[in-house]
Amino acid sequence: MNFSLLNECVQTLTDEDVLEAMKKIPGYLDITPSDFLQIYQIAFDHAVSRIKTAIKANQIMTRQVIVVGEDAPLVEVATQMAENDISGLPVVNKDRIVVGVISEKDFLKGMNDLKTPSFMRVLLQCLDNSHCIESSFKNLSAAEIMSSPPVTVETTASILDVASTMDRFNINRVPVVDENTKLAGIIARSDLVQAMC
Amino acid sequence: MISYFKKMSGGGQCPPRVRPSEIFWSWIGAFLGITPVAFLNYNLFAGSDFVYIIGSFGASAVLIYGAVRSPLAQPRNLVGGHILSAFIGVASYKLFYPCPWFAAAFSVATAIAFMHLTQTLHPPGGATALIAVIGSQKIHALGFWYILIPVGVGVIIMLTVALIVNNMAKTRKYPEFWI
Repeated sequence: MNFSLLNECVQTLTDEDVLEAMKKIPGYLDITPSDFLQIYQIAFDHAVSRIKTAIKANQIMTRQVIVVGEDAPLVEVATQMAENDISGLPVVNKDRIVVGVISEKDFLKGMNDLKTPSFMRVLLQCLDNSHCIESSFKNLSAAEIMSSPPVTVETTASILDVASTMDRFNINRVPVVDENTKLAGIIARSDLVQAMC
Repeated sequence: MISYFKKMSGGGQCPPRVRPSEIFWSWIGAFLGITPVAFLNYNLFAGSDFVYIIGSFGASAVLIYGAVRSPLAQPRNLVGGHILSAFIGVASYKLFYPCPWFAAAFSVATAIAFMHLTQTLHPPGGATALIAVIGSQKIHALGFWYILIPVGVGVIIMLTVALIVNNMAKTRKYPEFWI
């Protein structure tokens, strides 16, 4: 994880700023302004990573998770996503263990045989051939189109781990599981942003 | 090679000048700190050549009355730096006195190394170590007593004055830390 964006804020601190601050402090400080800047930048990085490791996944996750069972028909999955205005949800089995994740992209993949499905490509296919959805699609269950195995994080993971997991797998939400691998919550990218502000 | 010479160009900023009140308290502190030490050396220990060590205490005065917040000016450094350097100075003389230039250089260099090692770096310690080597016969005759008198006594006096005077100023606090 790099903190380059945050560092840019720090680097806007100039020798002049430090000099002004030093003038405000009575007494002789036997450091140079550049000594201070160097210490400050390293300390700032340290503080950022400390905060990022101090906050754990279970502190920022949403506990009320909208889920579907693995044998839920796709119409139920789509209804859940539409009514709750979410772009993805975890799929759980009877023991509330996360077995997969369904996102809008999984729907696009399942609807046709395109290699790189996107909304626009599916739309194009609809406009061209006037057949958008394979007839068998309606009869599929959640387990048949979900991404599996699911990428999950543990409740004790730091938000630094959560952020790098999302980065690495290029996902927008990640289910949080407890020590028994049961679903405990979910973290979206927006939760991470809120935690940092 | 170019980057080596580039280092010599500086490029950083000079820290600001202190306020007049700071200059005033530095003067008062140094005056009251050096007075008892110098008085003792000129009167009580007259003829003992202890007065050499005043040079080293003059340097300490700059730090403990003039740069109160400096890590170099804290009691740990003042006391530790002088005592340790005094020991190293005397030991260097005893070991290497037939070769005075070597004893002199060895005492200062070793004093710096050991002050770093013990986190007691105090620049005047270098003078304290050096004086043990380059001082008069009377100072050499003291042997390891040099650590206690004049060095130890002088340090305690200087520290006591620093504690009293530095904390009288509204904007000063001494020490920052003890150990």
